[in-house]
Amino acid sequence: MNILFLKFLFGVMFLTLVFLHLTKKNFLATVAYSIQSLVITIVLFNSFLETNNFYLLLVVFLSLVIKVIIAPIFFTNLIKKHALAFSVSTYFSTPLILIIISILTFIAYSDKFLPLTSIIPNNQALLSIALSVIFMSLFLIINRKGALSQIIGILSLENSILAFIIFAGLEQSPGLQIGVIFNMFIWIIIASVFISMIYKHFGTLNVTSMKNLKD
Amino acid sequence: MTILIWIIQLFFVPVISPLIIGVIKKIKAKFQNRQGSSIFQFYKDLWKLMYKDEVVSKDASWIFLYAPFIIFTVTIAVGASIPLFASFLNGPTSDLLVIVYIMAISTFFLSLAGMDTGSAFGGFGSSREMTISALAEGGLIFSLLTVALVSSSTNVFIISGINILNHSQHLLSIMLAFIGFFIILLAETTRFPFDNPSTHLELTMIHEAMILEYSGKRLALMEWASANKLIIFIALGSNLFFPLGIAQNISWLALVIGIIVFLLKILFFSTIIAILESSVAKFRFFRLPDLLITSFILNVIAIVLIN
Repeated sequence: MNILFLKFLFGVMFLTLVFLHLTKKNFLATVAYSIQSLVITIVLFNSFLETNNFYLLLVVFLSLVIKVIIAPIFFTNLIKKHALAFSVSTYFSTPLILIIISILTFIAYSDKFLPLTSIIPNNQALLSIALSVIFMSLFLIINRKGALSQIIGILSLENSILAFIIFAGLEQSPGLQIGVIFNMFIWIIIASVFISMIYKHFGTLNVTSMKNLKD
Repeated sequence: MTILIWIIQLFFVPVISPLIIGVIKKIKAKFQNRQGSSIFQFYKDLWKLMYKDEVVSKDASWIFLYAPFIIFTVTIAVGASIPLFASFLNGPTSDLLVIVYIMAISTFFLSLAGMDTGSAFGGFGSSREMTISALAEGGLIFSLLTVALVSSSTNVFIISGINILNHSQHLLSIMLAFIGFFIILLAETTRFPFDNPSTHLELTMIHEAMILEYSGKRLALMEWASANKLIIFIALGSNLFFPLGIAQNISWLALVIGIIVFLLKILFFSTIIAILESSVAKFRFFRLPDLLITSFILNVIAIVLIN
């Protein structure tokens, strides 16, 4: 696949993460995650085109079904069921979030991470973007108070790590990747059930409001 | 032939700009299941206003009287200084910082004119305009600086002639800078979600509040200048970030293609703006700085990513 197109895809992934930090609506966050997963699926498809490994095509198919379709549908149903339209709670204000995002990006591009981003020198630009997306996903998990946003942050972290390992030449066998996707599928179901139970018990998904968790 | 091209360049912005307003209004009307007015309605409105009597407050000073002429002239000057359909033209005012600050002159006089008559509406309109402009300026300069750094020139004609999309290593920077620029485009041209150009509600209006005291030909010039500003920003966005189809040499074929492609780009941007205005609500005023800071930070990231 053309390097320009791959850079465009990584750019889209970066922008979805920025959007996930800025959006105030859970539904839009779910759509952004779906777009991000689609980007990863296309990158995986690119790996299939390069290797012609049939099992990788299976990974692409599973990724498309579970990450792009099923997971967003699960989240959308949760949003509808519990009327979780808005998720505005963050620990930092918007300007501060943006400044932190820019600092994280600078760090990912800095010389400090050069040993990591230059594993394959030809892919250095892509690896730097992937690393900055990993940092931004971690920050999303830390910064958001809503459980649903945090779950999307974790899934987005998985996407960004996958993007990094593909271009760092650390890609695992298709069998293992299928196992990871299956694991994620189970995790999404369990997380959705947990979210429903948490909402039933506390009446909110804001983690700072769950004062009686130890009881 | 060069003189002829310069004449086309000079008149292109004021001639086409009312049409763009008409196209945006038409698309918005279609979204609202209305037939809407003709796409040439804005020309008729300008013609009508040019022949109407004016009412000028007795408290108005020379600023109120001359501001429409200054603002309109500024938009004509900037319109002639930026690449529209040809990249081989070059003028003394084609440096991006010169363009940004010439446009700041029009904002300055617009705000002064708003306050000049002492009306409460004009005062708060000017106050809001200066708040938005102050925050938008940094984002605008940084987004243009990104393309300047990628193309190693601050001359907008040279930037459009280089085609920055060929610099694939800077694709992410260009994408971020364009998103930042588009937010500024909406802010500077008083479109949604920053301002609603079709209402006169004191809670929402910014641009309309400042020109509320105007009537007749001065109002026509203010409205026309606003339309010119929209096409100037569309030209900057389309020709600096996507300089495809722009005429690179003096030949009739290249010029005709350049004009057609530029009109298509304008139509595309107008459609995007109309869709946006039909699908999003206007933001509360106190949320607007967040959006402008988002643009600024995106542009800062874009600049830093240029190694």
